Amino acid sequence: MKKYFNIFLLALVALSSVTLVSCKNETDEIFDEDAITRLENARDDFADILTDKGGKWQMEYYANSNEPGYVYVMTFKEDGSVTIAGKNEWIGYVEGESLKVPTFGSQTSLWDVITDNGPVLSFNSFNKYFHLFADPEDIPSMSDEDTDETGYGHEGDYEFDLMKYSGDTLYITGKKYGIDMIMTRLDAGIDDHVYMDEVVAMADSFFNAKIPQVYMNLPNGTRWIIKNGATSLLKMFREGDDEISTAVTHNVIITHDGLSFMNPLTFDGYTVQHFIRQADGSLLCRNQNDGPITITADNLNNVFTIPTFTWKVDTTQVGGQIAAQFNTLKTELNAYGKRKLQSVQITYDATLNCYSLIFGCLYQKKTFYPTFYFKVEKVGEEQIKFNFTGEGNDASTVYADKCPAFHGLINAMNGVTYNLSTSSLLAPVDMKFIDSGTSANYFVCRL
Amino acid sequence: MKKIKFYISALLLVAVGAMSLSSCSEDKLGETIFPDVDESLDPSSYTYQLDKFLMENYLKKYNLTFLYKMPDVSTNMNYNLVPATYENSIDLAVLCKHLWFDVYDKVAGEDFLKTYGPRIILLIGSPAYNPTSGTEIVGLAEGGIKISLFKVNAMRINDFNMMNEYYFKTMHHEFAHILHQTKTYPNQFNTISIGHYDSNNWQDRSEGQVASLGFVTTYASSEFREDFAETIANYIVKTDEQWEHILDLASRGWASGDEDDVTSQFFCYYYYPNNDVTQDLVYVSEYNVFIEEDEEGNIHKYWRNNVDSEGNRILVYDVEDKDGIDGRQAILDKVNIAREWLKTDWNVDLDALRDEVQTRQLNYDINQLRKLVTDIK
Repeated sequence: MKKYFNIFLLALVALSSVTLVSCKNETDEIFDEDAITRLENARDDFADILTDKGGKWQMEYYANSNEPGYVYVMTFKEDGSVTIAGKNEWIGYVEGESLKVPTFGSQTSLWDVITDNGPVLSFNSFNKYFHLFADPEDIPSMSDEDTDETGYGHEGDYEFDLMKYSGDTLYITGKKYGIDMIMTRLDAGIDDHVYMDEVVAMADSFFNAKIPQVYMNLPNGTRWIIKNGATSLLKMFREGDDEISTAVTHNVIITHDGLSFMNPLTFDGYTVQHFIRQADGSLLCRNQNDGPITITADNLNNVFTIPTFTWKVDTTQVGGQIAAQFNTLKTELNAYGKRKLQSVQITYDATLNCYSLIFGCLYQKKTFYPTFYFKVEKVGEEQIKFNFTGEGNDASTVYADKCPAFHGLINAMNGVTYNLSTSSLLAPVDMKFIDSGTSANYFVCRL
Repeated sequence: MKKIKFYISALLLVAVGAMSLSSCSEDKLGETIFPDVDESLDPSSYTYQLDKFLMENYLKKYNLTFLYKMPDVSTNMNYNLVPATYENSIDLAVLCKHLWFDVYDKVAGEDFLKTYGPRIILLIGSPAYNPTSGTEIVGLAEGGIKISLFKVNAMRINDFNMMNEYYFKTMHHEFAHILHQTKTYPNQFNTISIGHYDSNNWQDRSEGQVASLGFVTTYASSEFREDFAETIANYIVKTDEQWEHILDLASRGWASGDEDDVTSQFFCYYYYPNNDVTQDLVYVSEYNVFIEEDEEGNIHKYWRNNVDSEGNRILVYDVEDKDGIDGRQAILDKVNIAREWLKTDWNVDLDALRDEVQTRQLNYDINQLRKLVTDIK
C-alpha cells in the first residue's frame, strides 16, 4: 500500500512540474528587438557589407568535396547586379574550349540578401560562369569513364547562409549542401582578369608534375607525403605508412596567395587549413602556434638523386672556374673538327650504379655522347659532393684526349661540396649548385 | 499521517494551481512584428524595367507575383535546379502575357484570369530531372494557385517547335490543371482510355503507339489528369498540320519489333524481303517509306531506295490496327468533352481560344514584345 502511495506522490510531483513548465510564458527579454526586425536588420547589414568599399570580393568556392575549389571575383552593386569573374576549365568548357583549358569568363547577373532562417546570399539569376556548378546537366567527362550525372551535375550551391563577418572576411555556408566557404574583400581597383590570371599562374607554379611527391612537414618531425598536387586533389598519407590502405584524398583550392583545404584537417594532432605561399616557394600554414608547418618537396639532395630524373646543365648559367672550363671546352671542341657542345646532362645509370655526366657533341649532323661516371655523396640536407670515378664510355676517352678541358671541368667539379638552392622549395625543377668554398663557382641544372 | 496528508494537499494545490494557470493564461495579440513592405520600385535598380512591367501587367492586374529571381526555397529541394537568366525571364514574361493572359482576356473576358488565374508564376532555369526514370519536369501546377515553368535557360526563341513544346504548351497545360483543380471535369473523360494508362513506363512508349490508343502525347498516357491537360494544351497550341499528324498517327495500326521489350520501337509499316511474302515480315520506319499516287488515284507505298532481286521496288504494307481502339475518335471525343466542359463550366470557347493562340504564336515579333519592358522609363 505504502508503495502505491509513493508512486501516487511521485506522479503528482511530476504532473505539477509538467504543468508548471507548460504554464511558463516566454517573458524574458533576451533581445532588444523582435525576431523579424533583427532578421531584416541583419539582411540590410550584410547587403551593406557586400556593397561597401567598391563591393569587390574573392569567393573560395567549392561545389563538393570531390572536386578542387575555384576562385571567383565578385563585384556587388547596390542596384542588385553582381559581376562574377572566374578562370577555370569548366568555364573553358562553357566557352567551347577543351576541357582542360582554364578560361576566363565574366558575366553580370543578379544577387540579393534574402531572409530565410537567417540572412541568405542568393545569386538568383543564372550566371553561366558561376551557376554551372549548380546546373543539373550531365558533366562532360574528363576521363574515359563517362558517367551520367544528369539530374545532379556538380551539386554546387548558389545560395549561401551568411554566418559571420569579421576582418573583411565573410564566412558563408552553402544552403543546400552545407559546405563552409569564405569570401574575402578585395581592393575595388583590382582588375578581375589580371587577378584571375595571377591565381591561375599561382596554381601553375605550385605543384609540378615532374616532382612526384611533396611533403607536409610537421613540428614533431613527421612528414606526410602528398601526391597528385597538380590536380588539387591531394592524396596524403604519413611517411612510412602503407599508401594503399592509409592514403586519403583531400580537395584544395589555390588562391591568390596560397592554398587552402576545404575544411580544417588534423594530422598527428596538428590542425591545418590555410597555407600561404612564401618567397622561397614553400607553403607555410597560417595561424600555427605549435611551430611552423610547411609543404615542400623533399630535401634538395634527395630530389636531385631521384634515379628517374635527367637534369640538364644550363651552360648559360655557370660561374667562376666552371664557366671558364666550359668556355675552354667549347673552344677546344670547335678546334676539334668544328664540333659543338649541344647539351650537358646528368642522369643515373642503374646498370653501373653510378651517375653520368653526359656531353652531347654535335659533329656533322650527328651527336656523340662522351660520358664520365661519378658517385654522389650527400653531405648535409642541402649539400652534395660529386666524386668522379675516373671512368667513362669509349667516346669519353677519345674526346678527353682531343679536348683537355673535359678533364679540366671534371677536376673543377670533383670532390667539391656544393650548396644546393632552388627558386621553389615546392617544385624544385631548377637547382643551383654553389661551391661551398668559393661561391663564384656555380652551375644550374633544370629538370 | 497528518504530515503526509499536508504534502498531498500542497502538491494537489500546486498541481491544480499550475493547471489552472495554464488553462487560464491568455496572451493578448500585440501589433504585428512584420514591417510594412514598401512596394514602390527603385528606378536605379538593375531590374527596374522588368519589375515595373511585372507589377503593372501581372501584380496590379491579376494579383499575380511573377517570380523570376528564383528563391530555392520556393522549389522542391529534392531537385537540383538553377535560376533563369534575366534575359530569358524578360522574354518569357512578355510571351506569357501575349500568348496566355491576353488571349484569355480577349476570349474569356478580363475577369476570368483575375478570378481563376494562378497567383504565382515561378520561372526556373533548368528542368527538374528524375534520374531514375529518365524523365524531366518542364511545368508544374500546385494547389490551383502556383505554376512553375522550368527549362527557361534552354529557350531558343526562334525555334517555334521548341518554344511550343516546352513553354507555350506548358502554360496551357498547367493552367488546365488549375482549372480542373478548381472545378472537376466530367468523369466520362476518364472512361475513354481506361485500362490503357501507364504511370510507370509512359516515357518508354512511342508517339504513334499512344496516339493509336487515343492519347495526344506519351505523357498524356500516364494518367487521367495529365491526359486531360495534355489534350487541351495540345489542341490549343498545335498547328493544324501538327494536329492532323497526331490524328493520322492515331488512325494507324502499330506494332513493335519486340513485344516483350517496352522500350522497343513501334512501326506502322512493314515489308517482305525481296517481295517474298513467304518470308518473315520486317518493320520499317515511316521515314523510309516512299508514297506514290498513280494516274488512277491509287496509293502505292515502297521501301525507299531498295529493289528486289529482279529490280522491282519493294512494296510496303500498313501494319494492321489490332488494338481494337479507334484512336482518332478517342482523341476527338476527349477534345469534345473538354470543349463542352470549358463552355458550360467556364464559359470559355476552346476553339476561339485555339484560333487566337494560333494567330498570335505564328505572328509574334519578340523584338516588339521585348519593347514592352525595355521601353519602360
